[in-house]
Amino acid sequence: MRKRSKRERSGSPSAISLYVHVPFCRSKCPYCAFYSLSPAIGGISSFLQALEGEIELFKREGDLPRIRTAYIGGGTPSVLSLPDWKRLISILERAFTFLPRAEVTVEANPGSLTGEHLSLWKDWRVTRVSLGVQSLQDKDLLVAGRAHNRRQALDSMAKITGTGLSLSADLLFGLPGQNLRSWGETLREILSQGVDHVSIYQLTLEEGTPWGERPQNDLAEGYPFYRWAQYYLEKKGLLQYEIASFARPGRWCRHNVSYWTGGEFIGLGPSAWGYMNYERTRNIPDLAEYCLMVSRGNKPVCYSERLEGDRLASESTILALRTRWGIRLQDLRRDWCKDWPERMNAALEELPRDLFRSSPGRIALSRRGMRVGNSIWERLLP
Amino acid sequence: MKVPIERIRNFCIIAHVDHGKSTLADRLLEATTTVSAREMREQILDTLELERERGITIKLVPVQMKYRASDGQDYTLNLIDTPGHVDFTYEVSRSLAACEGALLIVDAAQGVEAQTVANAYLAVEQGLEIVPVINKIDLPSARPEQAAKEIEEVVGLDCSEVLLASAKEGTGITQILEAVIRKVPPPSGDRDSPLQALVFDSIYNNYRGVICYIRVANGTIRTGDTVTFMATRKSFQVEEIGVFGPDMRPVDELGPGEVGYLICNIKSVEEARVGDTVTSQRIPAKSPLPGYRKVKPVVFCGFYPLERDEYPQLRDALEKLQMNDAAIFFEPESSTALGFGFRCGFLGLLHMEIAKERLNREFGVDLVATAPNVIYQIRTTAGEMIEAHRPSDFPEANQIEEVLEPFIKITSFVPAEYVGKAMQLCQDRRGFFLEMDYITPQRARVVYELPLAEFIIDFHDRLKSVTRGFASIDYEHSGFRASNLVKVDIMIGGDPVDAFCFVCHADRAYHRGQEVVRKLKEIIPRQLFEVSLQAAIGKRVIVRQNVKPLRKDVLAKCYGGDITRKRKLLEKQKEGKKRMKQIGRISLPQEAFLAFLKAGDEEEE
Repeated sequence: MRKRSKRERSGSPSAISLYVHVPFCRSKCPYCAFYSLSPAIGGISSFLQALEGEIELFKREGDLPRIRTAYIGGGTPSVLSLPDWKRLISILERAFTFLPRAEVTVEANPGSLTGEHLSLWKDWRVTRVSLGVQSLQDKDLLVAGRAHNRRQALDSMAKITGTGLSLSADLLFGLPGQNLRSWGETLREILSQGVDHVSIYQLTLEEGTPWGERPQNDLAEGYPFYRWAQYYLEKKGLLQYEIASFARPGRWCRHNVSYWTGGEFIGLGPSAWGYMNYERTRNIPDLAEYCLMVSRGNKPVCYSERLEGDRLASESTILALRTRWGIRLQDLRRDWCKDWPERMNAALEELPRDLFRSSPGRIALSRRGMRVGNSIWERLLP
Repeated sequence: MKVPIERIRNFCIIAHVDHGKSTLADRLLEATTTVSAREMREQILDTLELERERGITIKLVPVQMKYRASDGQDYTLNLIDTPGHVDFTYEVSRSLAACEGALLIVDAAQGVEAQTVANAYLAVEQGLEIVPVINKIDLPSARPEQAAKEIEEVVGLDCSEVLLASAKEGTGITQILEAVIRKVPPPSGDRDSPLQALVFDSIYNNYRGVICYIRVANGTIRTGDTVTFMATRKSFQVEEIGVFGPDMRPVDELGPGEVGYLICNIKSVEEARVGDTVTSQRIPAKSPLPGYRKVKPVVFCGFYPLERDEYPQLRDALEKLQMNDAAIFFEPESSTALGFGFRCGFLGLLHMEIAKERLNREFGVDLVATAPNVIYQIRTTAGEMIEAHRPSDFPEANQIEEVLEPFIKITSFVPAEYVGKAMQLCQDRRGFFLEMDYITPQRARVVYELPLAEFIIDFHDRLKSVTRGFASIDYEHSGFRASNLVKVDIMIGGDPVDAFCFVCHADRAYHRGQEVVRKLKEIIPRQLFEVSLQAAIGKRVIVRQNVKPLRKDVLAKCYGGDITRKRKLLEKQKEGKKRMKQIGRISLPQEAFLAFLKAGDEEEE
């Protein structure tokens, strides 16, 4: 008999999260390691068909859970045309029950986003749009190989806020030639566009990307940029609630928080990750293979791992420490790994105290601690 | 076939490095058909792989040659090859003690050089007959008359019958052999006296134990005899005696004047010291032959295994190396940064480098060498005398009355146009001017007294570079002198790190402290907190810098719930830190130490 998941045990299926990967981009950024390809004719339609098929495979295993947060990411979901979007919406609506106040995020890029997209999303149940602004300096955008310019980014932001959707902007730092002055300028302008949420990412050289294979010269060091964002955004009322995320109070991305706190989620689409019942799975990162497997009635999974023992304890701790709430000591469950609390304390006790936020019954990183998070987490590996 | 003592000639070849000594030895072996053309290879007497590669001789090798001279008689010639580099001067003096004559080789193009003079004087002191030979006369730039004039004027030898040769082309070889027979006196010795044989070298062989190279002065030695080493008073039964041809060839007996080897189941080189006299246990000699002073190492450094668990292998390798090279000294030491290793003493920098390479090549040990230093003598305020082999042997600054350091007297032959630069270099290295004269209008002899510590850093290379390679040097130790020396501690995060501490002249402490701190700042990976780097003399901090906290890789994108990507990055990061050494709160990668020691090397080159 299959081991019952948390939601099954609790009687009625509790609500979980949903991630849909739309694997299309108009152009590929040289630093990006997400799976995406250019939207060839027929590609989108077979993708949507396979997506529907994948949901059917889930249905076979039992009732689909209700959805409390959804995230339609990519790739660039905004490259889908309006008719394709209508089809995607109807597929999801037919399959899933969304909670009344579900958070639904769509990722979009300034180059492909139109007002029609926005009205359609708003009329459906989208609550927030995460816009890949990256920078408001044309020089940075050119260097980063983005398909849009500053004008388009400002324009898209105005449209999103005009529609009444909550706007989140993704920004990139550590680009070749980027400097603190231009970064500060971008942050200032973003705020004047009425963002509720900002995600900042350091340029990471990933294996298998053009920049990963041939690193650019004069990559800016990340620290000052990050330090400035921590200082400036908080001063302007956006609280850092996670290593890479800042939001006005109550506007944090519940979907992402669920990742950090071990929430379950279904992942749909090629290369999408899912996490259910302590099992993490990854779909095959190839559209053709994905379609083929689904059409044959097989789950398109290419990797899975079951988390237990100290690996589960370690990972849960590391993920929770990404957030400002950290980990509640009483949540360190002994049944994961008996000596974990002691091991964790041993790993952390020799570190300077100012890396942690003092908060009774919890361990959380201070701003200073977040700046060196990698080195702290490393100590918590099993 | 044995020849009477009157027809034995024991001689060596002395020369400045590169004047063609080993090639000439090759030709002599060929001419006497000691080695057939088939067996002949370049520099046959240089048995170490390293010697051939570097073109230098380190170990002396004795070889016996048979020669029918123009007088129709058969002679036995024992040639003892000698090393040319100043580091190995002691080996030269050892081979001289086994000879009655020496061929003094001078390069026809370069003329007399510093070691030509030094080695010739050594030979004269030993009472050897010196036969001057001008070699490389085939060179277009050869000036044999000039070279002969220099030998007469500088060395003071009669050159009316100087021999001209080209070892490379094989010209003049017969004349050299004839001159050896005519000029070098046969050994004197009494067959009927009690045995006295000088041990002038020894090597260790894995199968046979210690092999002593001996020269019999009086009496005879036979297989089966019981012999006593007069210094150690240890007795052994002779298993085998023989001569070198150049391979070992057993014989029944070695008589007065003969040179050969002795094997008698000796397990440790300590039991058969070089310079000792072998006598008969039954009828011992009244007194030993004059030996030579035990050489003392002058340059010290730490050898540490690259992989920490290879300490026993390093110890074994050093023990074996010492059996072949008694001049190497070592004792265990430990360093907070590098773990367990050895403090090793050498005769010079080249000697140290060669030992390091031999350990690596012959024994497969990968090691790290710390920066070399000399021995210091410290007079404490309590009136005690302390010998410091390493900076950490220094007492607290307030307990030091004075520090003495070893000095050398260095003689350099320099073309006239570079004299100014050479003298400037000596001055910069805290040298004391002794004398200067012109040996020819084109060349000067410059004599300075110099702290050995300044010499071992890179003096020779610097001198070569300021004189475009034309200067030659020789040196001798001239004792200890008080100097204004201080020990500079290098502290990381407040903890002194022994591997980085050094001793230097007070005037240069600030400059060198700054240099070390700057270098460290480059190689120390950023930590979670600010790390202070300090250079201090006693409690007084003279240089201070901080390594800012970690800044790179602040964060990375989390790919749509892809936790594994982040996990792999963290695991990779952790793997990289495994090889780190914890010093207080700071983790330093082993690579940082290597980079530091390496950076030092590069600066010296």
